[in-house]
Amino acid sequence: MATAQTTALTRFQTLFLGTIGILLFLGIWSGLSLSGLVPKQFLPTPFEILSKFVQLLSTPFAGGTLQEHLLSSVLRFAYGFFLGAAIGIPLGLMMGWYRLLDEIVSPIFDALRFIAPIAWVPFAALWFGTGIGGPILIIFAGAFPPCLINAYRGARFVNRSLIEAAQMLGTSNTRIITEVLLPASTASIVAGLRVSAGLGWQSLIGAELIVASTGVGFMMVQAQLNISTSIVMSAMLAIGLVGLCIDIILRWVEAAVRRRGLA
Amino acid sequence: MKRRYAIGFLTIATLAIFWFLATGPLALISPGRFPSPPDVWASLKQVSTKGYANGLLYQHVLHSLKLVALGFVVAIGTGVPLGLLMGWSRRAEAIINPVFSIIRPIPPLAWIPLAILWLGLGDAAKVMVIWFAAFVPSVINSFTGVRRIEPYVIEAARMLGTPRWRFVREVLIPAAAPLIFTGMRLSLQASWTTLVAAELVGALYGLGRILNVAQQDIYPGMIFVGMACVAILGWATTRLLAEVETRSLPWIQMARA
Amino acid sequence: MAVITFEGVRKSFGHNGGGFLALEKIDLTIADKEFVAIVGPSGCGKTTCMRMVAGFEFPTAGTVNVDGHRVTGPGPNRAVVFQQFALFPWKTVSENIALGLRNKGVEKLEREKRVHQAVELMGLEGYEGAFPHQLSGGMQQRVAIARAYVLEPDVLLMDEPFGALDAQTRTTMQEELVRIARRNPRTVLFITHAVEEAVYLADRVVIMTRRPGRIKEVIDIRSVRTAEKWDKYERIEDVMDLESFVHWRTHIWRSLREEKSGQDR
Repeated sequence: MATAQTTALTRFQTLFLGTIGILLFLGIWSGLSLSGLVPKQFLPTPFEILSKFVQLLSTPFAGGTLQEHLLSSVLRFAYGFFLGAAIGIPLGLMMGWYRLLDEIVSPIFDALRFIAPIAWVPFAALWFGTGIGGPILIIFAGAFPPCLINAYRGARFVNRSLIEAAQMLGTSNTRIITEVLLPASTASIVAGLRVSAGLGWQSLIGAELIVASTGVGFMMVQAQLNISTSIVMSAMLAIGLVGLCIDIILRWVEAAVRRRGLA
Repeated sequence: MKRRYAIGFLTIATLAIFWFLATGPLALISPGRFPSPPDVWASLKQVSTKGYANGLLYQHVLHSLKLVALGFVVAIGTGVPLGLLMGWSRRAEAIINPVFSIIRPIPPLAWIPLAILWLGLGDAAKVMVIWFAAFVPSVINSFTGVRRIEPYVIEAARMLGTPRWRFVREVLIPAAAPLIFTGMRLSLQASWTTLVAAELVGALYGLGRILNVAQQDIYPGMIFVGMACVAILGWATTRLLAEVETRSLPWIQMARA
Repeated sequence: MAVITFEGVRKSFGHNGGGFLALEKIDLTIADKEFVAIVGPSGCGKTTCMRMVAGFEFPTAGTVNVDGHRVTGPGPNRAVVFQQFALFPWKTVSENIALGLRNKGVEKLEREKRVHQAVELMGLEGYEGAFPHQLSGGMQQRVAIARAYVLEPDVLLMDEPFGALDAQTRTTMQEELVRIARRNPRTVLFITHAVEEAVYLADRVVIMTRRPGRIKEVIDIRSVRTAEKWDKYERIEDVMDLESFVHWRTHIWRSLREEKSGQDR
């Protein structure tokens, strides 16, 4: 027991115990459903959900197949996320560099920070409608703060001597931001992007539950109204999978950044 | 620091004046899009005295607070022990982690329709969703908190012959405490977001209910009041938690001083 | 009574091809109340030797015994002073010192008395209520030593205890350790890479080879110290000036350098 916690397991043990865990989980779930302890209508078995998932890929529900709904969700997400990054990152970097800007923006930002992104739904619907504009504002509200905060922190905590070295070489302000602050805070920014993507994706789902006429969130609400638990759960599965893919891509970016020594 | 406050104050004041002028005398912003200060005041008065969306403001606030508190406490009460257990025992981690990894990528808000299907539009569904939302950050952070304990601190405790429960109480938990609190802060944020979303989807009372009705009525002043309440409550509960953290971890303040 | 014996100890880490041999053929007996220092190049396994006595690690082959009993795990009869102090940041100085006594079931009055004695011994008066982070490195290590001493352990295990301290504090702590160790002798196993520290403090100095660590040479300092009356000097620099000290220091240096250059090649 040399390490901090109880001894490390071998790969076989980990795999074995993990399988037991999954089997227990699926077993209890199926057991509850098959035994009738929980009505099947409210808790379908894992297998039923999988087959519903596959069926939804070809049979439209609530105006589209699963992948059509997913596509419109992902597109909205992409708009909101890129908007959040495109405004948040440069603004954060500049706030890290120009003190006055920091002092002006920070109080506004701090005041707005405590509004849960989803609380923007009524204004979003009022200002931009329920098609694509409204949901994008809500994704933006989720994705923007982490981008800004991490770019700002990255720029604020850059090694002073790097900046001084750049100044000593007569580098202009703009160039210091793009060639010193940006690369030096890349790791922090990418970490912020991961958080942003998570919050943005979840805000999107929330927005679609409330105001939208397409998308997986909308699909879930329709399924809920139809009391079709297997469709709700299939949609949850799809949402989880897409969220996971987004995170894996960003994790891959993070690893690439680290490999290039920008961490 | 003084300069910072002065500029901050000026900024907010300028914004407030701009808001007043743009919605009032200058008529730059249509009142149907964004409320003017008198609109907000009128809405606030209406909801506090006459009531709006089935209740007075304080009833909505208390209702939301109650649900957040309930969901948060249940989530912390289950998430922190589970995280500590997974951090301490590699076996527990190996068993639980795969299941946890399957559930974790599903955003908390995606549980709302399922919760409504299972438990209806009442309070139970909201508590369930908040629980799911706030559970994940508290598990992850407690787990990390235990894993990050320096091995020599644990060795020192073993060398001193510390019995198991005393070890958990006096070494494991305090050592993981800073990260447990980080997890609790994230959990609290998640609780608010989820509650507002759940109430927007369907509720009888609560701040989300105000927002929902105001949206349907196209009533910008009331939307503003609802959002302001969400922000203020979020801020206040976060402050409260920070205060609890400072008081329960005196040694950390000492280290900073 | 506390005799430590290493018999034919071998220790390897890891398994399935990824492992390496850390220690080989370690045979060593440390007598009751003897102060033994182990020096060696970094990575030679000297800390592992100590950790096997502490019960944090176990030999791959051979045995480590304390008083004829095989070590099966850590325990308060073998107190450890860690290089990183390993104090509990959330406990005050006196709470840190008291924990071991509470674990042993020492009752409150007796406990307070002994904590107070330990505080006095290490010159920590006035800091009883402070948290570790409020103290300097030297003071923190005093607390760690007090925490070990208060248990009145048979064996004291010290793993480069002064390695993290600045040079001046280090000197003071070495002088104090000599003072305490002579007044209140224990069986001590002291791990260090600082040659002067080893010669100044120890009765015997064990020199280890580079990895896999083996015992290269054991030097008896105690007879020199008694013959040359080192203990009558209060300051470390006075001892360090003595010809006998310089002789053994240089001897050990040369011996270690052979290992070092072998390692670089």
